[in-house]
Amino acid sequence: MGSGDKPSAVGGFYTVVAHEQHGLFGGLLLLNKSGRPLEFHCTAPIKPNRAQEILYGASLESYLYGEAIGAALLAKATSAPTFLCVENAAALAVREFVDAPVAMVVADAAPEAEDRPLFRVDAAHERGLHHVHFGPRKLALPKRFAGDAAALEQGLGLLPEHFDLAEPFARIRGAIEEAQRSGR
Amino acid sequence: MSDYAAAGSQAAQDAALFLRAAQELKAPAALDVIVSSSSPQIDVAASSIAVESWRPGIASVPIRADRLKVRSFFFPQTPGWREKFVAAQAAKTATAPAPTNVEPANDAAGGAKAFKSSTRIAPPKDVVKLEDRLYYVLQPPLESVFTGGTLDFPFTPFPYQFEGIAFLYPRFAAILADEMGLGKTMQAITTVRLLLHAGELRNVLLVCPKPLVTNWQREFQTWAGELPLTIIEGDQAKRRWQWHQTESPVKIANYEVVVRDRDIIDDESLKFDLVVLDESQRIKNRSGTTSEVVRSIRRTRSWALTGTPVENSADDLVGIFEFLQPGYLTPGMKPRRMGTLAADYIIRRTKDKVLTDLPPKMFRDVEIELSAAQRETYRLAEEEGVLRLTDMGPGLTIQHVFELVMRLKQICNFDPLTGESAKLERLEADLEEVVAGGRKALIFSQWVETLEKLGDRLGHLNPLYYHGQIPSAKRDGVLKRFKEDKKHPILLMSYGAGAVGLNLQFAGYVFLYDRWWNPAVEDQAINRAHRIGAAGPVTVTRFVAADTIEQRIDQVLREKRELFDSIFSDVEPSAAQSGLTHDEIFGLFRLRSPQGPIRFAA
Repeated sequence: MGSGDKPSAVGGFYTVVAHEQHGLFGGLLLLNKSGRPLEFHCTAPIKPNRAQEILYGASLESYLYGEAIGAALLAKATSAPTFLCVENAAALAVREFVDAPVAMVVADAAPEAEDRPLFRVDAAHERGLHHVHFGPRKLALPKRFAGDAAALEQGLGLLPEHFDLAEPFARIRGAIEEAQRSGR
Repeated sequence: MSDYAAAGSQAAQDAALFLRAAQELKAPAALDVIVSSSSPQIDVAASSIAVESWRPGIASVPIRADRLKVRSFFFPQTPGWREKFVAAQAAKTATAPAPTNVEPANDAAGGAKAFKSSTRIAPPKDVVKLEDRLYYVLQPPLESVFTGGTLDFPFTPFPYQFEGIAFLYPRFAAILADEMGLGKTMQAITTVRLLLHAGELRNVLLVCPKPLVTNWQREFQTWAGELPLTIIEGDQAKRRWQWHQTESPVKIANYEVVVRDRDIIDDESLKFDLVVLDESQRIKNRSGTTSEVVRSIRRTRSWALTGTPVENSADDLVGIFEFLQPGYLTPGMKPRRMGTLAADYIIRRTKDKVLTDLPPKMFRDVEIELSAAQRETYRLAEEEGVLRLTDMGPGLTIQHVFELVMRLKQICNFDPLTGESAKLERLEADLEEVVAGGRKALIFSQWVETLEKLGDRLGHLNPLYYHGQIPSAKRDGVLKRFKEDKKHPILLMSYGAGAVGLNLQFAGYVFLYDRWWNPAVEDQAINRAHRIGAAGPVTVTRFVAADTIEQRIDQVLREKRELFDSIFSDVEPSAAQSGLTHDEIFGLFRLRSPQGPIRFAA
């Protein structure tokens, strides 16, 4: 990942969109320092079946969001983001597959979900989240990677001061919808 | 037990249940479970799961699937205008200039504004390639440009202005047809600026009517102060150099200069990334020289700005589309069909829809009874005129009819024999009230002669003049005095010179002393005062002399408004014709039309 010729991505934004009929679509958006798109990667839909649900149990979501979708998307990226933001706690599992801080953007009204089980069962994760505030921005890191906070703050500092971290997820959803529409 | 361990234990129990169920169904020991063609590969070594009470002790559950497909899109990162400009300057001076001061747009309280709404750029229908569509879908919302602090803006745009910018941004052919006073200039400049900074444009040509060049220059300084401009003017050698110079990314030329420099424009090396036509109704006549020369300019993107895309007939729009997308609309097309086809290319908003905070615009249609002397002169002129027209027989042309119309309209303004004017008496009475209230008024007529007569009679009010005979160099000074000097409460303007592009929102009253041929020009005149920044309601007084040609023309104007609505609204088209027929024009005097349909000139 990464190339000397390519412009370096400042931030990565990764989310998964659930579609009732087709399953899960993953989208990864890499932005430059102005918040403009550099790369966009999206997956074909994935739908876990009954066997997977039984075998992965409570860890299924983290497995799908982390290894199955997130890692597949990151493998296609040609520039390395200095940080990766997600909007779902299960997607924090992607931290295992990228050498950059991964943080969940916490909405103002969202409760801090300390007790929610997050990670797949075959990884040695610590339980829970490590919450950090950088000015008005609220984020949560996997506790096991709490040490990422400094690098995360540094990475976020590259974006414009008033950049809304929740906003790129809306772009990803729009792009997935557009891609889906074009495939029909 | 931790959640992690508990979850692991639960998964093991689920797996055991799964295997037990499989064996009970006498399935083979090595299960081959196809999950789905699009699922990822999952391998579970069942040897790691202790199933003590079952033999044989090893079972495998391979779950195979294809690799997850990923589609990737990479977007170009072209250096924007600023980077190129800075690099060029650095190369020249070996010292790069300090970057332009950048401040986020501030709200009224002075703090950086956090926008709640977000305006996204939607790809137009004619962008087909998914990668191109995603490029636009994935752009940040426009509001973030204003809060991001990367560019400075003097004011925060209205939401509908963000929408206008989002409309123009991805389009290679577009008409911004907002009603006058909604800020078309600002929307066009801001979009140009964003595209230049994004590296999507490098050289832009803006063409506008001559009196508006300084206005555009001012607006560029306000909304995009960092962009160097070139005004194409001066002698031919200078203009030739200006057309070809690449120092400034934006050139401004008036229509007359463009026509005069058609040889320079023909040069193949001259190409623009974008050509913007202001007051684009200037090219509605497809066979006119202006239209021909403008259409010959080599360009990638074409935008037209006009508050009146249809002035007289639906074919006006065809003329503008010949610049945007030649052949897309055709003359004679039904207005409703034309409206449907043009919909993705045109954005039009009206003040009543988007500026709910704008002070109201109130119309007063004042029917004036001519004075006895005026009435007599009018009667004689009409009777003699009609008689003369009738006697002309087959030699009668539309021009003869127009001449009579003009003559009668002038009598409605002033009696040429006695100098009496019922309209003026009413105007004087109204103006007394306006001036007493400390307000300012614009008075429009189509004749300079009428304006001068009015000026003579209203001398005590120190009127100022703004019409075609006032030299261009003096016009800005007139407007400044009218705006700033309380001693000059009225401005006498001709429709031709004062109808477009001027910001006179400090005037609370507009008087239309006589009526123009089409409502669009009247609207433009009215909207000099009724536009963004208007401090209070704008009162528009339209004088119509009772039982005269003016009343008959007023009826024609109403029908033209209906035509406009049939193209730009979802309302079913009315029975109004897209132009006036000979019968209708001759019908003003109950004359018979000798030929087929014709159209009014603007």
